[in-house]
Amino acid sequence: MNIDWGWVRRWREYFLAWYDEGRVSEKAAEAADFIERYVGEGVLSVSGGKDSMAMLHIAATQLGDAGLDIFHWDHGPALMPRDVETGILESIRSVAPRAKLVVKQYSLGESNRARTDWRPWYREFFSTLRSLGYKYHILGIRRDESSRRAARGRVVERRHWVEIHPIYNFTWRDVWAYIFKHAVPIPRAYLAYAKLLGWERVRLVTFFDRELERYGSPQVDSVLAWRYRNTCCRH
Amino acid sequence: MEPLEITFYLSTPVALGFPWIYFDSLIAHIRLKEELGERYYSLPTKIPVDSVPAIPIKHWKDVPIASVSIFEPQAGLHTFSYFKRGDFPFPKGKISRASGFFKDFYLKTVYVPAVKVKFYATGELREVERLVRLVPALGKERNIGFGFIRRVEVREVDQEWGLVKDGMAMRPIPVKYLEAYEDATYMAYKPPYWSKHSVDLCAVPFTRVELR
Repeated sequence: MNIDWGWVRRWREYFLAWYDEGRVSEKAAEAADFIERYVGEGVLSVSGGKDSMAMLHIAATQLGDAGLDIFHWDHGPALMPRDVETGILESIRSVAPRAKLVVKQYSLGESNRARTDWRPWYREFFSTLRSLGYKYHILGIRRDESSRRAARGRVVERRHWVEIHPIYNFTWRDVWAYIFKHAVPIPRAYLAYAKLLGWERVRLVTFFDRELERYGSPQVDSVLAWRYRNTCCRH
Repeated sequence: MEPLEITFYLSTPVALGFPWIYFDSLIAHIRLKEELGERYYSLPTKIPVDSVPAIPIKHWKDVPIASVSIFEPQAGLHTFSYFKRGDFPFPKGKISRASGFFKDFYLKTVYVPAVKVKFYATGELREVERLVRLVPALGKERNIGFGFIRRVEVREVDQEWGLVKDGMAMRPIPVKYLEAYEDATYMAYKPPYWSKHSVDLCAVPFTRVELR
């Protein structure tokens, strides 16, 4: 993926200025206090995206990484190219080297079917979460991501667990400011996609996923992530 | 067969579904439409065609000597977001617009605001000229106005640049046919480009290669 580093550097300056202007360090300290209440019986769910990595960094630096439990869901090669996945795992380990990391891989993730049929994904993902047995699932969900998420609240009671959203009140500027200020490792795909989609819209989602067709994601993947198009077609 | 340079002058930007457009694929598409006529629009979805029609382009081994698109000026990529809403006689009662037949789409398309698109190929001048004149638009989303062609020029050139030009690959070339290459990835390299049987480890267009 081609990254325009000059463009990234210019934006970095803006985000570093916003770190002070937006009082991001205060927001991060508040988020850390919030995590502390639940982390004893909870697990940090880290996808490797910018929000969850920022949340993990806040928890690991302010509370210490030794007592953290981290869960990461590997979508499999069809949906998440292996070099992106390897980078995510390395990033998680570099931010929280002493934490207990649990990684589960989607059983259909090596098949092309994973790109077109997403129902088995949901079944397996939620049964995996349940089997982990944690009372609290700490997620990097934010209010301004969508109206649906804005309606959720910071603590959500689910049937088998409770969802906790420590960085719920962070804006996209806050998250990027935190990432640039603390050099939080994120997948390089963000920087390539951000130039095209904008910093406020760029998200790490599964690649070539028909479930996201209605948002135009596979169309953008076909041009920017064309290298991964035939991940499952090798014969 | 002569080495050719084909230039499409555009009146609207080209929307892309892949970083490049393959010239041989474009010609094969036009030939197929000619062969099948109206049947072209009601082909089966799983395997639309059994064989690719003969194209007036020279092959080197099984690789067509036809370059991928060269956009001028190289203005970078942009996105265009739009709604694709169902324009149906909606039935009475509650229907879901989130999924199923009446599903709405909020789509993004990537486009290049190019003025002209150039291709190099080796083929039969007259036949290639006739076929490219049948192309009304290039790229994706032609139904909403992307990629409209103002005029097209085909001219003979001195050298064969459909495969390699100045040491650079002008199209995906399987690495098994190369002595040396700079970068490689799994790509389709011959028509039909949608088929997994056309996929092989190939040198990436516009990277350095050396033919075997």
